Amino acid sequence: MKKLLWVIERDIRLFFQYKFLLIMRAIWFVSQIVLFGLIASRMINVPDYFRYYIAGLSVMTLYSASMFIGFDIYEEAEHGVFEYLLSLPVTRRQLVLGRSIGGGLRAFIYVGPLIAVSLYIIGAVTIKSSDRFDILMGVLDALIVRLSTAMYPLGFVQEANPLYGWIANFNPVTFAAELFRWGTGVEALISLNNPLLPLLGVIAFLSFFTFVGVILYDKRIEGGGWR
Amino acid sequence: MNLADLFIMAVVYNRMLSPAITEQIRSYFNFFAPGLAVTGLFASAFMIGREINMERRNEVHHYMLSLPMTRFELAFGRVLSGGLRGMMYMAPLLLTCFIFIGFPSAVQLLVILVVLFALALGISGLSVAIAVSTSSLEKFITARGLVYYTLFFCSSVFYPLSLIQQLGIEGKFPAVLVNFAEVNPLSSASDMIRSFRFGIPPFSFNMIVNVLVFSSAFTLCAIFAYIKLMERQ
Repeated sequence: MKKLLWVIERDIRLFFQYKFLLIMRAIWFVSQIVLFGLIASRMINVPDYFRYYIAGLSVMTLYSASMFIGFDIYEEAEHGVFEYLLSLPVTRRQLVLGRSIGGGLRAFIYVGPLIAVSLYIIGAVTIKSSDRFDILMGVLDALIVRLSTAMYPLGFVQEANPLYGWIANFNPVTFAAELFRWGTGVEALISLNNPLLPLLGVIAFLSFFTFVGVILYDKRIEGGGWR
Repeated sequence: MNLADLFIMAVVYNRMLSPAITEQIRSYFNFFAPGLAVTGLFASAFMIGREINMERRNEVHHYMLSLPMTRFELAFGRVLSGGLRGMMYMAPLLLTCFIFIGFPSAVQLLVILVVLFALALGISGLSVAIAVSTSSLEKFITARGLVYYTLFFCSSVFYPLSLIQQLGIEGKFPAVLVNFAEVNPLSSASDMIRSFRFGIPPFSFNMIVNVLVFSSAFTLCAIFAYIKLMERQ
């Protein structure tokens, strides 16, 4: 357990070294609220769209902060830090599990103050990395966030294109955004009536991808498979 | 990223527009398409700054200064190449935009290309000026973030200018930001394409003047800053 915590601690420390990425994300978050959110809400025929959008924004930021762990792992593979990690006196499982937990935890730590800002507005609380990896993350980010209900209610997505609606229905960002809105009282526009459904969706997503991540990472790190 | 904005976000927003805005812009997809080309141009023309900032930190600029060309040629060449790269990246986006909203006349197309090139030069100049004035990557990225998001979101790229002006009248948006949005070259370039294709907003020579003033100011500023700061030990 202690060794697992060391792995988690290392990843959290590593995350806060990316000062410029954190600053960029924070500026993006604030400008999305005070500029885009405020103005776009006047254009949209959805009641209380400003609060709806801000709740989705928190989940978008959480999602992109969680994806940073991918950059770390890619960097380590490129710079030969994997060999060092494998030589540490921790088991492979501890290393892999620690990294998964650390990746999620540090996103929560980072997004925490930003969520506090969102909650306040909502009123609930009255790189250097490989270009290929950058492109992949950019595409994933663009598709996963836009094909979710982070920015717009599910009914409109389905109406715009049934395929988009179908994807958004099973998108983990949709589950998290709906759950966040339910929890913060922005309930008028949530698409899933039973909060248990998005909760189950998030748990299923978490379990499946943690399992897949652990298996893949475990397999790839042995014998120089990352090279 | 740019195309996902157009083919997903704009398609969905199309369904969500308030009747008053629908009456004004008719289709959000068509409204946003010119804005998308302008944001693509902005992002790609701005990339030259990151390279120059990196060269400065890695002291490659000493090599650049040793090349057999005048300082002015070097500085203006960098700004010009940044602008040209922006135009090259934007070309397919602009073509996609025209495929959906319809092609302008030959004269209008020429005006659009000239104005967009001037805009690309100004953006490239702005980026170079920031790059040579910031010593660390963190400072450059922070400055870039502020410039990026202020210019993007405080413009008519995503929403009609009238909305920002209305918010200003209601006192919900600072007057300084309303004025900024009105003279923002991204607003002017996007609205100029819209005015040529849809007649809304009506064309005004101020749109071209805004872009040319921005372009001249930042091109000169970048050349001056590049020459002065690169020679500094």
